[in-house]
Amino acid sequence: MREPRDPAELLKSAADGDRTAWDLLESRFGPRMWAVARVCGLNEADAADAVQGAWLRLLEHLHTIREPSGVGAWLATTTRREALLIARRDSPGILSVDVASDPDPAAAVLEADDSRLLWKTVSDLKEPCRTLLQLVATDMGSQQMAVRLGMPVGTVGPTRIRCLEKLRTLISLQETVQ
Amino acid sequence: MINDEYFLAALRLAAGSDPIPGHVSAAARDTYGLRVSQAVTAPPADCASPIGARGGDGPGLVRFVAAGLTFDLEVTVGDGLIDVAGQVFPHPGEGSHVDVRTPHLTLTRRLARTGQFAVTGLPPGWLSVVCHRPGLAPVQTRWVRIRP
Repeated sequence: MREPRDPAELLKSAADGDRTAWDLLESRFGPRMWAVARVCGLNEADAADAVQGAWLRLLEHLHTIREPSGVGAWLATTTRREALLIARRDSPGILSVDVASDPDPAAAVLEADDSRLLWKTVSDLKEPCRTLLQLVATDMGSQQMAVRLGMPVGTVGPTRIRCLEKLRTLISLQETVQ
Repeated sequence: MINDEYFLAALRLAAGSDPIPGHVSAAARDTYGLRVSQAVTAPPADCASPIGARGGDGPGLVRFVAAGLTFDLEVTVGDGLIDVAGQVFPHPGEGSHVDVRTPHLTLTRRLARTGQFAVTGLPPGWLSVVCHRPGLAPVQTRWVRIRP
């Protein structure tokens, strides 16, 4: 099986006029960008706008991305910025955003291609974290989650933060071991 | 809690419960067709009426500056569609024209002697204007999102 093309190479090829390279960038990073836009609380139409906005930003910066190998994280960061701007419903009219020159370091979690490892780590957590994070991943609201988990709705948010922290720690440890 | 969105996004991705819709992928791929070779991108600049200052009812003004050109765009949203009245100055020269672009529609306008141009009835969403100048690199405004 052929190795997937390096993101930096894809970016350079796209900048040089290779449409196939652009399509491959979309295949690789589009699903992540969609997930980022959706967790920012956008509905489908607004999430679609945020994702398209990030691709338009990439088009503007095809030749000026500072770290071409990190184009995936750059796209995730840019999607989040666009999504948060769109989520601010109090600013109708013309929306523009400063483009990130560097990606958020936290976006690196999306760079990991092994989603099975992440999901297995969630499955290995103790309750209520295991079920809570599985429900979070399916976009269930706090009210419904509270019912499913049998906990007061007011405790769902703080518990979610604690569970995410545990998961983050476990993932970091696994990365350290590897 | 810093940027938990990325972590939650990774979880959602792993769960596979909300895959990217086909039309969103298709739109992203089609975006490549909006590439303007050799174009200089003009970012928004400060101007007399900053973005959003007039609220949602009146026109919004935004200025872009690059490569010695200034674009002033006055955008009006009405009946769900967008009208753009613009001016490019100094005048970029005989034979110049502008393309007012959305992802799905491009309208070409010759510039008046004053550098002014106008288009009406654009769909809401992303918008950019490109000024083509004979013998010089085109200048495009950064894409801006316009919604009612």
